[in-house]
Amino acid sequence: MKPSTLPFLRSAYFLLLLDALFITASQVFLKIGATETARVPSVAQWLGFTGLYSNWVWVGIVCLILSFVCWMKVLRRMPLNIAFMLSNVVHILIPISCWLFLKEVITPTRWSGIALVTIGLMIVATPTVKLEERL
Amino acid sequence: MNSYALTMILLSVLSQVAGQIWLKKALDSNSIASRQRKAVTFACAIAGLALSFFVSLGLLQKYDLSYYYPFQGLSVIIVTLAAYLFLKERITLQLSLGMILISAGVILVSAS
Repeated sequence: MKPSTLPFLRSAYFLLLLDALFITASQVFLKIGATETARVPSVAQWLGFTGLYSNWVWVGIVCLILSFVCWMKVLRRMPLNIAFMLSNVVHILIPISCWLFLKEVITPTRWSGIALVTIGLMIVATPTVKLEERL
Repeated sequence: MNSYALTMILLSVLSQVAGQIWLKKALDSNSIASRQRKAVTFACAIAGLALSFFVSLGLLQKYDLSYYYPFQGLSVIIVTLAAYLFLKERITLQLSLGMILISAGVILVSAS
């Protein structure tokens, strides 16, 4: 490993990348687990309790917890508005992962919608953070 | 998109926003609220976040992840509206533009 990469690995940006990767991974694992358990008879289908029968869902939950740990560490080193803005990269990582790993078909309409949502989120990142702090 | 999916998506986003706000309030060291009050708020936070998690899991059992996930952007719209309604915060041009883009994006995804 080149010496010049080491500072990045210790930086808040790397933690932010880890956070985004953990979130993406968790959503993909949750989806795999949900698909596995979709046909299990349930007393309340609208609450996906049957998902808990799947190991993938538990792996997804662990990834969510890990992403939360990374996020807490990021917030200690970076202002919330920048962290929130950069964290919106998950909105790009997740559809790409859906296409790559889950073989989902993503039409151009859906890609356009995702692009608009991502851009919209980037635009309001800073003011939203300020509002959230006051709520 | 049918009304079931729409209701469930809104429920999941609303409960997540509520859960996160309650969590912040419960953990806020600067708050003057009593220990008991903070404990109740914390319980509400866990309830809200858990509800959001399970509703979204139920949704994932029926729909694509790439279909469901973009709706998380609605949480920002909900935060903005809540701040406007409860705190009388102004909705700036920047916020309006962002909300319009997010809404348009979400509508496109729901039609895909």
